[in-house]
Amino acid sequence: MIITLRDTQTSTISEKIDTLHEERGEVALGRVLTLLILTDEDNLEDALRLANEASLDHPCRVIAITPSTRRMTEPEEERTYLDAEVRIGADAGAGEIIVLRPRGGLIHHQDTLVIPLLVPDAPVVAWWPTEAPANPSKDLVGAMAHSRITDAMRSSNPLRTMEDLRRNWSPKNVDMSWTRLTLWRAMLASLLDQPPHLRITSVTVCGPTAYLPMDLLAAWLTLQLNVPVSIEREPDATAITGVTMTREDGGVLSLERRPAEDSIATISVPGQSPQTIPLPIRSLGDCLSEELGRLYPDEIYAQVVTQGWKKIHPNDD
Amino acid sequence: MADMSEHTTPTPCEPQWHNPLRDPRDLRLPRIAGPCSIVIFGVTGDLSRKKLLPAIYDLANRGLLPPSFGLTGFARRDWTEDHFRDFVKENVKEHCRTHFHESTWKQLAEGIRFVQGTFEDADAFERLSNTVAELDRDRGTRGNHAFYMSVPPRDFPIVAKQLANCGLAKSEGDAWRRVIIEKPFGHDLASAKKLDAVISEVFDPDSVFRIDHYLGKETVQNLLALRFANTMYEPIWNANYVDHVQITMAEDIGVAGRAGYYDGIGAARDVIQNHLLQLMALTAMEEPVSFSARDLTDEKTKVLSAVRLPKDLAAHTARGQYSAGWQGSEPVVGYLEEKGISPDSTTETYAAVRLDIDTRRWAGVPFYLRTGKRLGRRVTEIALVFKRAPHLPFESTATQELGKNAIVIRIQPYEGVTIRFGSKVPGGTSMEVRDVSMDFSYGRSFTESSPEAYERLILDVLLGEPPLFPTTQEVDLSWKILDPIEDFWSTLGQPQPYRSGTWGPQEAVEMLARDGHRWRMP
Repeated sequence: MIITLRDTQTSTISEKIDTLHEERGEVALGRVLTLLILTDEDNLEDALRLANEASLDHPCRVIAITPSTRRMTEPEEERTYLDAEVRIGADAGAGEIIVLRPRGGLIHHQDTLVIPLLVPDAPVVAWWPTEAPANPSKDLVGAMAHSRITDAMRSSNPLRTMEDLRRNWSPKNVDMSWTRLTLWRAMLASLLDQPPHLRITSVTVCGPTAYLPMDLLAAWLTLQLNVPVSIEREPDATAITGVTMTREDGGVLSLERRPAEDSIATISVPGQSPQTIPLPIRSLGDCLSEELGRLYPDEIYAQVVTQGWKKIHPNDD
Repeated sequence: MADMSEHTTPTPCEPQWHNPLRDPRDLRLPRIAGPCSIVIFGVTGDLSRKKLLPAIYDLANRGLLPPSFGLTGFARRDWTEDHFRDFVKENVKEHCRTHFHESTWKQLAEGIRFVQGTFEDADAFERLSNTVAELDRDRGTRGNHAFYMSVPPRDFPIVAKQLANCGLAKSEGDAWRRVIIEKPFGHDLASAKKLDAVISEVFDPDSVFRIDHYLGKETVQNLLALRFANTMYEPIWNANYVDHVQITMAEDIGVAGRAGYYDGIGAARDVIQNHLLQLMALTAMEEPVSFSARDLTDEKTKVLSAVRLPKDLAAHTARGQYSAGWQGSEPVVGYLEEKGISPDSTTETYAAVRLDIDTRRWAGVPFYLRTGKRLGRRVTEIALVFKRAPHLPFESTATQELGKNAIVIRIQPYEGVTIRFGSKVPGGTSMEVRDVSMDFSYGRSFTESSPEAYERLILDVLLGEPPLFPTTQEVDLSWKILDPIEDFWSTLGQPQPYRSGTWGPQEAVEMLARDGHRWRMP
């Protein structure tokens, strides 16, 4: 069910939600967090769909803020107003969705705009699905969040966004470029779990040109293994295609996925016939779900963006 | 509770080695099992079809199985490998928890093998040995193999012997062999010891994983977190405040399909000995030094060894047998009319016992354990019922509807916690206090579908994580508690009948009434 509230107040939205829950005999107490989505009208539906998916794992209240694009009627021209939508039931995953479309001065007071609508006594997660502020922790909404999720890869200038995020890193920040790597990192770690436990002397990472996750993967590997990592760009690749690790005895361990869209990875280990395993490109829904399940500061990510990155890109500042 | 795995056996030759890609702070990384295979005996059985095979698929789908993975079925049926593969696929499709993906299946199917034979047939085990060796060669399983005994306990010894004879029970170098056996572990102390002797003769004690599928690791950890991660429960978790404790496992089904196993075993041996006594130990134990399997076992053992049986077993235990009736809206037959059950069977399908724990914390607090088949509904819970407030500053009429406060830990369904307490009825001309419930459920507050107990369990075995399941010592202690009760019951003759779909025999109601209590209606 979608209820549209034109030129409304937050107190009206709150009341509407309470009434709806009461009418439908639902309890709204089980929500574990509030997910704030900061986006624009073009990316709204896409983001809400992902949030719905993730809310099945993490029952949450979703509040999306998008600046209003409604054509104004004459008298409204001069003033600030708020349009809203409340979605519930089949239109809202396992929680409820509130879409706020502020206009005018309200756009600059987004924190106090959402405070009355937050789930009481529960963590707040802020998510910028595409464009991220240069410094999320100084953003009004970001400042009150327990976790700040950005996605530099989907911003209009990924490298530039990442540069800003790195410069303004703060413990509660995380970028989805990192989340996209979890399965690769897990597979690589499990490769090294197996004997013989020999030192790794060099690593090569292959993938597309200008693909942030690959840089983060390389940065992580160089930090953890303390070895040089070279990056090989494959112009027609769409995601990471391979990691090759050379052991001190010259043996080569590799995890390859070519082409990435086939979702099948091949593992080669000295003395063993190659084995395949499904390794799909991680969906955004899975990434968001992983982030919502993890509200502690990610110290490994912190090291990767603050120290590892510089080892991979010594020429950056 | 990240250090549950602390006591895993380190690789003996390189104790210092640490995987540089694993950082204890990196909580995102799941543990993926190393190259290995699992052999299932009794692969065509119910458990295997509905739980084990789907759990293995779900693990593969979650990316937690290695690329070098083999699954071998061992059964009597005259099947080809393709037959067996179809059989696995069909059951996986029907019962898997995650989505069915053809690509995951295809990858898993490549490692599926089938060995036809009986447990008496030494040649069949020779073929199994060859199949496993072939997996090592072609799939790179590196000699790591787990054997899942999804077979009746009477077959454990022969399967173990055959595995030993064909050399599969022992491994070389880094490789491991593990065996998984399901409860029941024997039917009394003597048989449990005998079984243990047979198994430990063949397998290294550290390689034996005894599991009780009723009690998943998740449940145990939830209970530990509730008790020991919070401040507000501990101060009242003792005889000063707790009046008595009721631990219930009720099933709505009858013995259907398990008649051969169940008759002569009965409810107490089937459920109380392992499941309910474990739940009691977890509820009553002191805080363990750490949450490692070893420290947990120490505390559970202490509690189990402090259990005292009632002097008058007739007054403080109860047995029952379900008779024909209506289970909800469905007519059902009585136990004695079930197929495969002798019409004069004295096996109980309902059992309730009172136990006392002789520790300072629990002195004078009775623990009531009950279980039964064909009861009102399927439920497992632990209820701590509290003493009444020493003084109620209200008119007695105001509190006539006020029961005792209770904390109820629901194990299934709807795993969670309920707190029952009195609250003023709003409005009204006079003061009135009535019981209300405050509810927490894992399902609503966390993930929609937490992993099946079997997924956790199989993964733990493949990773070599010591399970949080009973050790031999705990099993023996449990039998010591139950044996005298079983001995006493064996002198009694026919258990009291109870109508299917009710909450058990009158005897059980009277047993609690004698102590001034009443069973909860869970």
